[in-house]
Amino acid sequence: MSELSTVNNLPAASVGPKRRRPARRDGRAAFLMMGPNFALFSVFIVIPIVAGLYLSFTTWNITTGPPKWVGLANYTKLFNDPIVGVAVGNTVKFMLFGVIPTVVIALGLAMLVNVRFRFVGVVRSLYLVPAAMSFAASAIVWRYIFLDGPGYGVVNWVISQFGVAPPNWLVSTTYALPALDVIAIWLSLPVATILYLAALQRIPVSVIEAATLDGAGPMRRVRSIIWPMVRPMTILVAIVALLSFTNGSFDLVNILTPTGGTNYATTTLIFYIYQQAFLYGLYGYAAALAVLQIAIIGGALVALRLFHTLGTRRG
Amino acid sequence: MIRTSKITHAVRVLFATLVGLLMAAPLFYMITNSLMTTSQTSDLTPQIIPDSLHFSNYSDAVSGVTQVIYSRSFINSVIFTFFVVLLQWMLCVSGGLVIAKMRFRSRGVITALLAVSLFIPILTTLIPTFFVTLKIGIINTYPGLIFPIVAQTGFGTLLFRQYISQIPDELFDAARIDGANWWTILRRMVIPLARPATGAYVAISVLTAWNMYLWPLVAAQSGNLEVLTQTLANLGNQTFGGTHPQNIVYAAIVIVTLPMIIVFLCVQPYFIRGLTGSGVE
Repeated sequence: MSELSTVNNLPAASVGPKRRRPARRDGRAAFLMMGPNFALFSVFIVIPIVAGLYLSFTTWNITTGPPKWVGLANYTKLFNDPIVGVAVGNTVKFMLFGVIPTVVIALGLAMLVNVRFRFVGVVRSLYLVPAAMSFAASAIVWRYIFLDGPGYGVVNWVISQFGVAPPNWLVSTTYALPALDVIAIWLSLPVATILYLAALQRIPVSVIEAATLDGAGPMRRVRSIIWPMVRPMTILVAIVALLSFTNGSFDLVNILTPTGGTNYATTTLIFYIYQQAFLYGLYGYAAALAVLQIAIIGGALVALRLFHTLGTRRG
Repeated sequence: MIRTSKITHAVRVLFATLVGLLMAAPLFYMITNSLMTTSQTSDLTPQIIPDSLHFSNYSDAVSGVTQVIYSRSFINSVIFTFFVVLLQWMLCVSGGLVIAKMRFRSRGVITALLAVSLFIPILTTLIPTFFVTLKIGIINTYPGLIFPIVAQTGFGTLLFRQYISQIPDELFDAARIDGANWWTILRRMVIPLARPATGAYVAISVLTAWNMYLWPLVAAQSGNLEVLTQTLANLGNQTFGGTHPQNIVYAAIVIVTLPMIIVFLCVQPYFIRGLTGSGVE
């Protein structure tokens, strides 16, 4: 407290904008207390980001010793590698056809369960419980639902009841990626629904009642009241979904289509990175691909942000 | 008017319940199939209800010739999850206090770095993280499995910062005047007061750690360190050729996921609070 009064007593001139820091300083204690956290964070998060950039200019194979500088060779290779284009395309498709349905369905589900009745807690649990599942476990549960086993899976059985020959989902070049998207959407919905539900519950009931009395139908209420009120949450829902699909784009691919699909149909960029590094030992090349991956995620985040800002301005 | 709205309400409740059952259907399907005989699961028409309850599938999944889950990977998953959550919690609650209430020069920079890290999943830094861990010499050891994940302190630290910054400054000033140092404040005041934040943090991190797949796949290449997600993933690959019967595989998944489903149902309010920063009514 004495420090505080000292600063307050200083002439105004010396308390310029730069000096107007909080009077009490806890530098030493803060350093000791934050130290372990930040040290570990630096070693395993900050340094790898920098090291990744460095590795992308080298060839490195664990068995042949330390990384060797090769300049831009990995990047030249990257631009001439036809699979990179395919993998980027698959990644973008996987994200778009995953994140957009997740956002839309989650808003619908949140509106659906934003109702009060005695067992609402139990019913909501039905929606949320997939959040406890890993990609690995869900992958296998869904594998049987889609096709596998000696008989048909449920999905294909239903399709065949309509007299249509069901696709061989995971082997198909057309349906494999959408099938993985379905699983990832199912896994991403709980968290997205929770976030939207929280946003919906911040809308005062009186507002919606007033609109209903004024003759606004359900569609009109969604468009004019609910959507504007939950829009700020949409950016968060989309970001969380995007990160979840980033994880899914490796886990599901590696477990359900361990070769990356027929004709690279499910080879996402992350899966390709993993293959290059841990299957073929091309760690330097994989690091260059990872730089591309970060650029794509960064680009997606910037795009989301821009979309959000533009929407807000217009609305 | 009142009559219509009552009917509307009933229809909504019914519809919400039906959709909920549909959402959870894959889980029910997994559980019922895990109790069937092999011949029933391989029936050409998908079966929903078991003829009789074959709980023996569960013991078959963990023992005998049909064994697919080994206690070693179960123990590894428990060790991994326990230490990741415990160590990371210690770092995050103290880090949260530092950023929320202590004054020092680089506070803004550190907060920004932690926030940015939330958008960089370990997948994207997989190669260099592997490189660093290898250089330190702890690949294929428990520390190598655990510490790079513990290091992802961004989410937890910011969660605790958020919560701790809502504790009034006066409480901290009073404690300081009484001569308490920051460690005492952390132990005696912040940790007890931040119990709801700890609940939210633990709920989310336990699930994340238990379900993690890629890092263990890379950092634990020796079978001794295998965790359950790897076991399941291998089952997935092998069942492609139909090596294991579906009912045994489903029983195995139930054994692995049921603990987490139970945990999740118990801590659901904390989980929701951790995500939304508030509860859901």
